[in-house]
Amino acid sequence: MSKKITFILIFVFFTISFVQASPVQRFPKPEFEYGHQQPPTIAPDARSQFMEYLDVFVLLVSLSLISWFILKKRSRWGALGMSVFSIVYFGFIKEGCVCSVGSVQNIALALFNPGYKIPITVIAFFVIPLLFTLFFGRTFCAGICPLGAIQDIIAFRPLKLKSWLQTVLGIIPYLYLGFALLYAATATDFIICRYDPFIGIYRFDAKFSMFVLGATFLLVGVFVARPYCRFFCPYGVLLNLVSRISWKHMTITPTTCIQCKLCENSCPFGAINEPTLDKKKEDRQIAVRRFIILSFILPLLILAGGWVGSQFHENLASVHPRVQLAEELMTFNESSELEPSLELTTYKSLGKSEEDLYVEAASIIREFHVGAWILGGFIGLVFGLSLAGLSINKHRIDYEPDRGSCLSCARCMDYCPMPEEEKPHRLLFAGFRKPVRFK
Amino acid sequence: MRETRNEIRVTGSQQPWISISYVAGIFSFIICILLIANFLQMKKVDPIEQNTLNALIERLNDNPQDEALREEIRTFDHVSRKAYFTNTWQVRIGGYLLLIGIAVVVISLQIISLNKKKAVVISDEKPENIILHNKNARFWMMTGGIVIVAAALIAAYLSNSELENQFTQAAGRSTDRDEKGEQMFTEKQDELPKPESDSVILDTMNEIIINEKYTFPSWALIKQNFPSFRGPGSNGISYQKNIPVQWDGPGNQNIKWKLKIPLQGYSSPIVWDDKVFITAASNNNRELYCIDKNSGKILWTSRAENIPGSPPKSPETSDDTGLAAPTPTTDGTHIYAIFGNGDIIAVDLNGKLKWSKNLGMPVNHYGHSSSLVMFENKLIVQYDQRRSAKLMALSAEDGSIIWSTERKVNISWASPIVVHTGNRNEIILSSDPYVASYDPQNGKELWKVECMSGEVGPSAAYANGIVFAMNEYASLVAIDVKTQKILWEDNEYLSEVPSPLAFDDMVIIPTVYGIVVCYDAKSGDLLWEHEFDNGFYSSPIKVDGKIYLLDRKGTMQIIKASGKFELIAEPKLGERSDCTPAFADGHIYIRAGDLLYCIGK
Repeated sequence: MSKKITFILIFVFFTISFVQASPVQRFPKPEFEYGHQQPPTIAPDARSQFMEYLDVFVLLVSLSLISWFILKKRSRWGALGMSVFSIVYFGFIKEGCVCSVGSVQNIALALFNPGYKIPITVIAFFVIPLLFTLFFGRTFCAGICPLGAIQDIIAFRPLKLKSWLQTVLGIIPYLYLGFALLYAATATDFIICRYDPFIGIYRFDAKFSMFVLGATFLLVGVFVARPYCRFFCPYGVLLNLVSRISWKHMTITPTTCIQCKLCENSCPFGAINEPTLDKKKEDRQIAVRRFIILSFILPLLILAGGWVGSQFHENLASVHPRVQLAEELMTFNESSELEPSLELTTYKSLGKSEEDLYVEAASIIREFHVGAWILGGFIGLVFGLSLAGLSINKHRIDYEPDRGSCLSCARCMDYCPMPEEEKPHRLLFAGFRKPVRFK
Repeated sequence: MRETRNEIRVTGSQQPWISISYVAGIFSFIICILLIANFLQMKKVDPIEQNTLNALIERLNDNPQDEALREEIRTFDHVSRKAYFTNTWQVRIGGYLLLIGIAVVVISLQIISLNKKKAVVISDEKPENIILHNKNARFWMMTGGIVIVAAALIAAYLSNSELENQFTQAAGRSTDRDEKGEQMFTEKQDELPKPESDSVILDTMNEIIINEKYTFPSWALIKQNFPSFRGPGSNGISYQKNIPVQWDGPGNQNIKWKLKIPLQGYSSPIVWDDKVFITAASNNNRELYCIDKNSGKILWTSRAENIPGSPPKSPETSDDTGLAAPTPTTDGTHIYAIFGNGDIIAVDLNGKLKWSKNLGMPVNHYGHSSSLVMFENKLIVQYDQRRSAKLMALSAEDGSIIWSTERKVNISWASPIVVHTGNRNEIILSSDPYVASYDPQNGKELWKVECMSGEVGPSAAYANGIVFAMNEYASLVAIDVKTQKILWEDNEYLSEVPSPLAFDDMVIIPTVYGIVVCYDAKSGDLLWEHEFDNGFYSSPIKVDGKIYLLDRKGTMQIIKASGKFELIAEPKLGERSDCTPAFADGHIYIRAGDLLYCIGK
């Protein structure tokens, strides 16, 4: 216990030091009185097209390499090496942008706002990891995503969470995804990027609060492996769903599972499914009845979620900058003591009428009314399907990675005692393997 | 549960990695200590807010010509900034080193972890009860769902403000207000004198345009009054007739009345119809007085008090500025007054407060002195304070900011003038380092000419397409408003307090040391020069073909407004005065000491 406390204290100390090293303080330019001509302000050039394509190329090569390391070479070393590369290149050099996690929002914005021209490279960053996941499982999460990689390398003392707790916390990414899509589709904000806990560490320029958030995630990540990936990442929701139907997913054993139990505690993410025992089966009638009831109430849950969301739509809309501006203008008009914000002053200086602002804000709130119905319905659907899913007991005879939640980190492979030499090639992948039961 | 613990054995090949992790850990720790120390040091030192530097700057303000001191400030400022940036660089490099150190520690620990000889762990824990797992998960999922629903509904209920309806109604009100405004003007227009032309009134000297959209008075009505500092548009021209040229203060000759003003101030009087308005203040009170033009009695007093944001303590000001230096202004329905602590009030003709607000404490070592001026429904406020200079247009209706334009200038004590320059209206300001023009409708900067320096007190003057601006230790410049070219400049006779006066083809320059000169406006040739016994703080006003210029001892120098010097009269008030007089309806209103005089019969 005392070791853990010492570890935490040291970690906090280092984090504070790192944080204070990061922000760059600014102050006004010198007030030269004579002679000095202030150089004109120059906007930095956008990242060149070539560099953007290079990023896509590096992503493709990295994903190919890590998939090869994991599926073919079964190498944890390889996955770790790729994690380090990802932290350096996609993290510090590229400063975490564009990242596949945030690209979800660009896609949503492009779908709902024809005026937004989405760059092809952003589409590539969104699609390529999904395609690789469809073929090889979540190898992107294993060591290419810079957000996952930085958490992965510090998971030194992972604790095993109760599986039901993991299941419940697993709902959060769906909620986060729903909110992120709503705010992106309404051109309100890219909340995934704004509240990305690690981007500030990669860029050395985040606000103090965001550094603290990132540091907290890293601190928690020492004991609860990859907390952001497992319980927050909205892109992980899509990868999870796609990975469930992946063509060739990594396996724990290179040959056949002998149920030696050695791998049982090897996964820091709790992503290994144990064999089910026949005697633990639930009464079939009860399970079927519950499933039928849940199936019937699913539409009700969607409707109820939609209704609750619609009641909450003003709160959701109040985040939109235009709505905030209209609210401020209304308050400002009612109370002459208030000082206007810079935004309001700018709006007025543009010569736009107050009426236009109010009309636009009212229109945005109507948009949010529809959006909140959809968001609420989506959340109701997620809850309904999750509850229904908990009534279905899958029969398993071996220790298998959970295809949805397995991050393909290759840790479990080291624990399998089955020699690789014996594996026949055709049995390499789970998709080809016929189950053999050992008793 | 019983679990066989891992037995971790460190092999010889791992020893280098263990050493590396220790070295990197210690290295990172040392860097941490240095970074924290450096950070604390940086927090203490602000390169631009240092006592020594500020003291030097204050000294330079007192003696702007001291080049050695100026150089010393630059050197000090440079060294200070260099030290700061060196610290910043150290912190940044330290951050990178720390990052590298931590990376090495993490990589070493990972390698050690991967190379550990692990004993096999076999747990004899019973397999998880899937039924129990599902049951728990269902329970907590439902609980979580209920909590989310309840929280959303409570938040929605508590914050329900019918925003959409409110915005729709507010949009309607905005539209109504515009329409109502036009109707009010239409109704009021019948009461006003007929404009001299259909929609635009251009006087040969006045240069003000009237837009018929709003409810402000017509130019003809403005000309009948004296609504702001230096008259209509604050340009030093009054359109009055039959102004007296003879009086004697000590002998009480031609003095209609005189009134003791309860508090102190240097603001000038303004006149509208049969009322005179003037401001005064003490450290605790800021007052606007309305005085009956005929009887000289105070009709009402309005106080700037209980204004949210108003600083509890008045700012330090110099004795010759005080807290009531800016002159108020009026649009004929309300009077607008600003005070040295940033309080600004709008009061109707009966003394009822319409709105009030505080613009923020002026950062100004003498005290705020820029006067107010109206343009249509906008109250123009020049608020050139240290490091936050701006020009604002406040709504006459409610004091809200219609526009606000940041200005990169030093503190200015001059006042804005509003003129029509041929095809547009312009607000012209004089300050260090430039004379600038702004569009009164949106505050957009139209042009600027860098030609001023020092502590600018005199306001600009305008006539026939030329702007005149000056300051002591700088120069007098004549700027063509169309090309923004400096037509000519002169630095022989300069003023630091009174403003120039421009009309026809000439410009009059009064000085604080008593010399008054007249230049040809276009060529800059000296037309005449005359040295009076006393200096001038009051600005000259052209009225009825004469120039009225009050010296500091209270003698009004009345000069013929022509290219040849001709002194018409020198009536004495017998009281020192630094304020600019107001002219209306055959009378002159002069603030002198703590008295307000009305001269005329």
